[in-house]
Amino acid sequence: MPSELFSKRLLVVTGKGGVGKSTVSAALALAAAARGKRVLVCEVAARERLPALLGGEPAGPEISEAAPGVFSVHVLPPDAMREYALMVLRYKAIYKAVFENRLVRYFLRAVPSLAEIVMLGKVWWHAARDERFDLVILDAPATGHAVSLLATPANMLQIVSDGPLARDMREMQALLTDPARTSVCLVALPEEMPVNEAIELDAQLGGTLALPRGPVFLNAFNETRFTPGELAALEGGGARLAAAAAVAREYEDRADICLHAEDKLRVELRRQPLRLPMLYAQDFGPRQVQLIARVLAEGLAASEGIAS
Amino acid sequence: MTLSRQVLDKRVLACVGSGGVGKTTCSAALGVRAAVEGKKALVLTIDPARRLANSLGLSSLGNVETRISDEQFRRAGLTPKGALWAMTLDLKLTWDELVTRYAPSEKRREQILGNRLYRQLSTALAGSLEYMAMEKVYGLSQSRDYDLIVLDTPPTTHALDFLDAPNRLLDVLDNDAAKWLLTPALAAGEVGLKLVNLGGSYVAQTLAKFTGVDLLRELAQFLVAFGGMYDGFKERAARVKELLASEGAGFVLVTSPGPLPVDEAIFFAQALREARIPVQAAVVNRVYAERAPASVAELGAALAAENVPDEGGSLATRVGRTLANYAELARADRVQIARLAAALGPGTPLHQVPRLAKDVHDIAGLWTVDRHLFDGGA
Repeated sequence: MPSELFSKRLLVVTGKGGVGKSTVSAALALAAAARGKRVLVCEVAARERLPALLGGEPAGPEISEAAPGVFSVHVLPPDAMREYALMVLRYKAIYKAVFENRLVRYFLRAVPSLAEIVMLGKVWWHAARDERFDLVILDAPATGHAVSLLATPANMLQIVSDGPLARDMREMQALLTDPARTSVCLVALPEEMPVNEAIELDAQLGGTLALPRGPVFLNAFNETRFTPGELAALEGGGARLAAAAAVAREYEDRADICLHAEDKLRVELRRQPLRLPMLYAQDFGPRQVQLIARVLAEGLAASEGIAS
Repeated sequence: MTLSRQVLDKRVLACVGSGGVGKTTCSAALGVRAAVEGKKALVLTIDPARRLANSLGLSSLGNVETRISDEQFRRAGLTPKGALWAMTLDLKLTWDELVTRYAPSEKRREQILGNRLYRQLSTALAGSLEYMAMEKVYGLSQSRDYDLIVLDTPPTTHALDFLDAPNRLLDVLDNDAAKWLLTPALAAGEVGLKLVNLGGSYVAQTLAKFTGVDLLRELAQFLVAFGGMYDGFKERAARVKELLASEGAGFVLVTSPGPLPVDEAIFFAQALREARIPVQAAVVNRVYAERAPASVAELGAALAAENVPDEGGSLATRVGRTLANYAELARADRVQIARLAAALGPGTPLHQVPRLAKDVHDIAGLWTVDRHLFDGGA
């Protein structure tokens, strides 16, 4: 069965800081590649992390293959600006004369939102125009920054209405708001604040931003392991079982919190969150990401099977 | 190691670190401690999720200082010798206040507030939030008599944003390049803000092909309107920087023990060191407790001895697995904390707060964090 989500052109992954956005981006990329898609993951954070999660070498600003069928690129404003300017101006000599002028570089740094626009512009170009890839995944910044990044084309279009920048921003906006091509994936942890931020972000996506809302991933979920009867028996069992009772209680408390978070997300977002497992590993690397990718693919298949 | 109470003698404490590590909780806990110990303290947060308001038992916080009532403290069994205030920073309002303060005339103020680029700038310019947070701290430190202001810094995508923000902002306000490029438009001044031509400048014309004329025109208007205000801004930015680098200010580095937040914390510490700003203390939040391991056989024997039924040893196996899982998490935390300690060096005290059973969402919870920070959890 072809996955509905992976037939999009652009997946934007966001959520509160520290919830596992990069992990989910990497896992989505692997799952899509397993379905035969050629995937490009774009990272916009200050420091590059995705290639390591995928088992590849750091890509830098050049696109490189991090895992079979999965490519990654680190999108930074200066490189994106150069690429974009070259595309518009067509001639390297003109680019050099104008954009490598010290004063102009200074000027461009000062124009608010230009950095965001050229970064989004690069992502848009690969998603909408680049034949080499079927699917582009944007590992977006955390909630607040993501909202301002995704709102940039609409905001800037109120100021800029002519020229290639405006034309491309209209196309960016068209891509971002098109539910046939784009889906925003939310990531949350089973904790109060990440869940609340996911709910608020979802409201903004559906409201002012008008972006298509995709699946919600509940990361680091632990399934219940002990029945209430077992817990009671352990806790009533005396000193020899004290450590066992304590750890079982701590585990079950968290399992309860996970169920609670899942319920809250389902009620507030009106869709079933997809569970991703809590992993107990000292080093979080490609093997863990592959495991999460498998769970994620199964979860997506099940939920889309129900939906269709 | 416990946090020295001397940290509360600072006039400004900035909690810094990556997103999702408990900065807001740590800031609020420092504020609560200071108030309990007799200080007049303010916690200032950039808090889209209203977490600070929640944890202080308030339904919301505006862009004004709100006093936390003694009743809230009493519910946690505390009697503060001092008092605690809290406030959330509204970015747009703080910008508007600053413009209002420095605008030479009402007309000029209206021009700026109505400029479309200004509106974008005041919410979307990289570093704007960080700068305004520091600006607010400075303003409050001058106009109010708080003993201590705790700043919960915004989660930055880049550690240096926070320190670099004033410079970046001044770049915009006094951009020689922009003035040079847009001279004809600027020369037209307030009479004919039309950017009729770009002076035939090849560079400006080429740029306009790229950005569109609109953007250059809006920028020219903005710069005209800002003319003359730059010096006030610059002076203020310099004083904000002075305050942060002074003896009266301290930075508290907050992190969780995950490998990525620890990477960020180390990166942050380096950035602060390069800026010659000492880190007062580092706090590692939500650390997994160490546990004595037990084999399945031992657990099975203990279950049998305590007459807990366990058919086929399933319960012993699951308890053993759970113990091993938590031991693994504790071990991972230990490795990361050691890495952080090595990177910070012996000059920066490092404090741990264990992973608490409940989410911190009231003063009692904050006090529990305080006890771990200042009293070793006793």
